[in-house]
Formats: sequence, C-alpha cells, structure tokens
Amino acid sequence: MVLSAHGLTLGYRGHPVVSDVSLKLAPGDVLAVVGHNGSGKSTLVKTLLGTLPPIAGAIEWPTGRPSTIAYLGQRTEFDTRFPVRLRDLAEMGAWHGLGFTRRIDPAGRARIEAALERTGTADIADMPVHTLSAGQLQRALFARTMVQDAPVILLDEPFTAVDQSTEADLLTLIDDWSAEGRALILVLHDLSAVLRHCTSALLLGRGTALFGVPHTTLTPDNLIEFGYMSASQAEWQELMYRRSGPESAGGPRV
Amino acid sequence: MFEWLEYGFMIRALAATSVLSFSIAPVGAFLVLRRLSLAGEAMAHAIVPGIVIGFVVAGLSVTSMIVGGLGAGITVAVLTSLLARFTIIREDASLASLYLIALALGIFILSASGSAVPLKSFLFGSILGIDDETLYLIGATATITLVSFALILRPLITNTIDPVFHESQSKRPGLVVQWFMFLVVLNLLGAFKALGTLMAVGLMILPATAARYWVSTLTGYLILTFVFAIASCWLGLIISYYAPDVPSGPAIVLVSGGFFFASLLLAPQGFGSLNRRTTSSRGSVSSPTPFTTRPNPALEEKTQ
Repeated sequence: MVLSAHGLTLGYRGHPVVSDVSLKLAPGDVLAVVGHNGSGKSTLVKTLLGTLPPIAGAIEWPTGRPSTIAYLGQRTEFDTRFPVRLRDLAEMGAWHGLGFTRRIDPAGRARIEAALERTGTADIADMPVHTLSAGQLQRALFARTMVQDAPVILLDEPFTAVDQSTEADLLTLIDDWSAEGRALILVLHDLSAVLRHCTSALLLGRGTALFGVPHTTLTPDNLIEFGYMSASQAEWQELMYRRSGPESAGGPRV
Repeated sequence: MFEWLEYGFMIRALAATSVLSFSIAPVGAFLVLRRLSLAGEAMAHAIVPGIVIGFVVAGLSVTSMIVGGLGAGITVAVLTSLLARFTIIREDASLASLYLIALALGIFILSASGSAVPLKSFLFGSILGIDDETLYLIGATATITLVSFALILRPLITNTIDPVFHESQSKRPGLVVQWFMFLVVLNLLGAFKALGTLMAVGLMILPATAARYWVSTLTGYLILTFVFAIASCWLGLIISYYAPDVPSGPAIVLVSGGFFFASLLLAPQGFGSLNRRTTSSRGSVSSPTPFTTRPNPALEEKTQ
C-alpha cells in the first residue's frame, strides 16, 4: 500500500469542498479521479501534493511519503515563451534532489535520453518550447515526468489539449508506469480511457465521494447522482444505445 | 579622442557601471521573463521616499540609502500584496497607486528639506556622483546577486516556467520569488547613483528586452543581455561626457533604447518573425487541433 485515506474532508481555510473521501492506492494501481467542475478534484490534488492540509482526517503513507511525487498539472500557468529547448524541459525533472549546483550524473543523462526516446520527442529535443504544438509540449512534459522517476505520479487532466493519437500514445506510457509498479493518480474526463486503463476510480461530486472499481463506480446512475452527467445526457446515450446497439455505434459501453 | 580616460571620475563611472552590468543584466532578464517589467518599474519609484528619508536623516551615505530603499521597497511590496488579497483592487492597480504616492512623497520631502543634492542628478543620475562608497556598494551588490543566482537559478527557472510544478517540488516556493525581488531592489539601489531613480530601471529592462529578440536559449539570453547592458553604459557615459548638460541616466537608457529598436528591426525574433508561428500568450495552445476531414473508421465500418 502506497497511501490510504479514510473519511477525509478537503477544502480551503475551513470551507469544506468535499467530505467523506476514502481511497487506497497500491503500487501499480492507476486511480482515476472523476468529477464535475468544483467537485474538489484540484483540492484533492493539492492535498495529495502536501500544499493544502486536509480539514479533517489524514492521508496515510504506510511506507513513508515518497521524497518526490511526480506531478503534471494543468497548463493554465505554464509559460511557453521561456527561452528553453524541449530537452531542458525534460531535464527539469532531474533537478529535484540535486540541490543548488550539482550536475546531472550519467545515469540521469541516460534517463533523460530514454524519456525523450520513449515519448517520441528525441527528434525535436532541440526545438525551443515556444515552437512546439500542444501535443509536442505535452509529450515533453510526460518526458519530464518520466525523468522524475517517482514512485507516485499525479497527472491533472493530462489530455485536455492534445489530439486523440497523442492521447493514445501517452496512455501506453501510463500502462508502462503501472507495470513498473508505480502508483498513478489521474484526473480524467475521458471515461472510456478510465475504463480501459484505470484500476480504480474516485468519483467526486455534490460535496461527497465514492471510491471503487471503475466498472461499478462510474455507472450512469452514479454519474447522474454525483452531478457529473446530466439526466438528459444519460437519456441521449440510452436512446443511441437502443437505436443502433453498442457494437455498431462503436461507443463506450457505460 | 580618448581623453576622457584621463579623468578619475570617468574611470570610476566606467568601472562602476561595468561591474553593475554583471548583476543588473541577469536580474533584468528574469524580470522580463517573469513578466514583471512593469512591477520592476513601479518598484524603482517606490523606493524613492526611503532613499530620500535616509538621505535627509543621515546624509548621503550608502548605509542610509540601503536601509531606506530596502525599507520602502519591502513596505510597498507587502502593502501591495495585502491590498490585492483583502480589497477589491487588483495587484497592478494597488502597486500603481502605492508607487505614485511613494514617488510624489519622495520628491516632496527632498524639495521641502532644501537638500544640497540637485533634483536633476537625483532623478536622472550623474557620473560625478560615483564616489568610492558607491563603488563598494556596486561591488557588494554584484557579489550578492551573482552568488544568489548560482544558488537560486534552478528553482527560479522552474518557478518561472511552471509555477504549479515548482510548488509541487518545493516546501517553500515563495522564498525564491521573494529573494529575487530583494535582488531587484538591491540592483536598483546599486544603479541609483549612475542612472538616477527614474532611469535605473531602464538599464534593467531594455537590454533584456532587446536581447530577447535574438536568442532562444537561456545562456545566450543572459550573455547577450549583459553585452547590451555594458555597451549601453559605456556609450551612454561617453555621450554624457561630451554633452555635460545631459545627465548620464537618460544617455545610458537611450543607448539601450537604440539596441532595443535595432534588435526589433533586425533580429530573427523581431518584426521579421511576426508572420511565423508563435504562441499568443502564456499557457495557451499555439494552434488548436483542427477538425480533420479524415473519415471516422468506426462509421466507415458501419456503412460496409
């Protein structure tokens, strides 16, 4: 077990956003966090990172809190105009633990090259960041996450700005990390990706939370109850499902 | 032609501004990269009353200037963040209000005290004002700045590119930002004698913006910013020597301005690049993924 929490209340300065959050995470687990806007996804992320203390309850790290938690946030505050190359961005993942001035050792160098190779950015590694497309930038940030080499990886809406083929590529990387025994927490909106790649799900909404296996947690009834899906949206899916059948529609089976 | 090299005040001014360029250039470069150019400008004016009060109380000593300047800078910075957090006025307007009051207060006190320092050289600098004490101040400023940069460079880069990521890695992410702002104030104080309170920030910002047009690596950027800064100082001081009525501050800043416009016109990332692809703002996606006309394979299967 990497971390466990029971009956957490999360929020800001005494204003609870979500309560009764319980979850468990073991090495190799991929936990999806799903919820409507304002349901407490970002609050949970901050709490897990340790920048926001929980209002009630505590997160337990049975084997100790890892010294690095790899984190890839939403890109709202990312400055793409800073004069660095893609390679430098990946290198930033190796700075933690180096202190102020120590150089990156050969093992770290090898990790950076491997990460560039694995994310498909080795050929464009010398391009300035401001010339990258959204998909290329996200690949670079996945490379940085890979270089961090952390036992726990936290990704906040990693596929929001990227196209489907990039998303598919990056999802294979998530599968690899899970196979390597790292524990992952993903904030995701792509529910079919959750069903295919995640081992557990935490549904947040209307001030409360539900934790379990994706297939039993993210049912249409639960999604409506937790305010993630509107009743009319569910009805639309139901109508589509009846008219054409799941196979020919090619849609997700929810 | 080089007769100005025979004057002690000229040698002192050249030496002082050369050393100053080593520290003011990286500070300015990061101020521009952190999109705080205007905050730097405001800070330069905000420290004026502190310098004046220090001067009126204790005379024109470096110690009184530093204590007064740092005191005023920190006061304005703290007040700004308090106003932004607890009142409806945002940070930019709070800072603008406070620095305008501070600047007016500074000039008011200076004039009312009937000081011996001419207002013109106070505001716009004078190469004659650079005494041994000022040289020590600039030497100390450069030393502190360069040592600080050696220590905070990595967290400062991380914090500038990706503040959220930096927050996830650092126990006290605000510390590096506060230390950087301290360096800004320190360098403004160092530049004050040669350039004056109104012009000091010009040597911080203009070489940095000019250099940004040319380079796309951080190392190249810092080096070129330094080259523009030191060249501005030397040329500006020589101009000021030949035109004694022109204070050194505007002369130096105008040379920087010349570098800025030349870079704007000639550099690869200047005007010539406007039709090339660039990101429109921080955090935005450079070009939205277009809807492709590629047929959906699932639908294609269905029609067969």
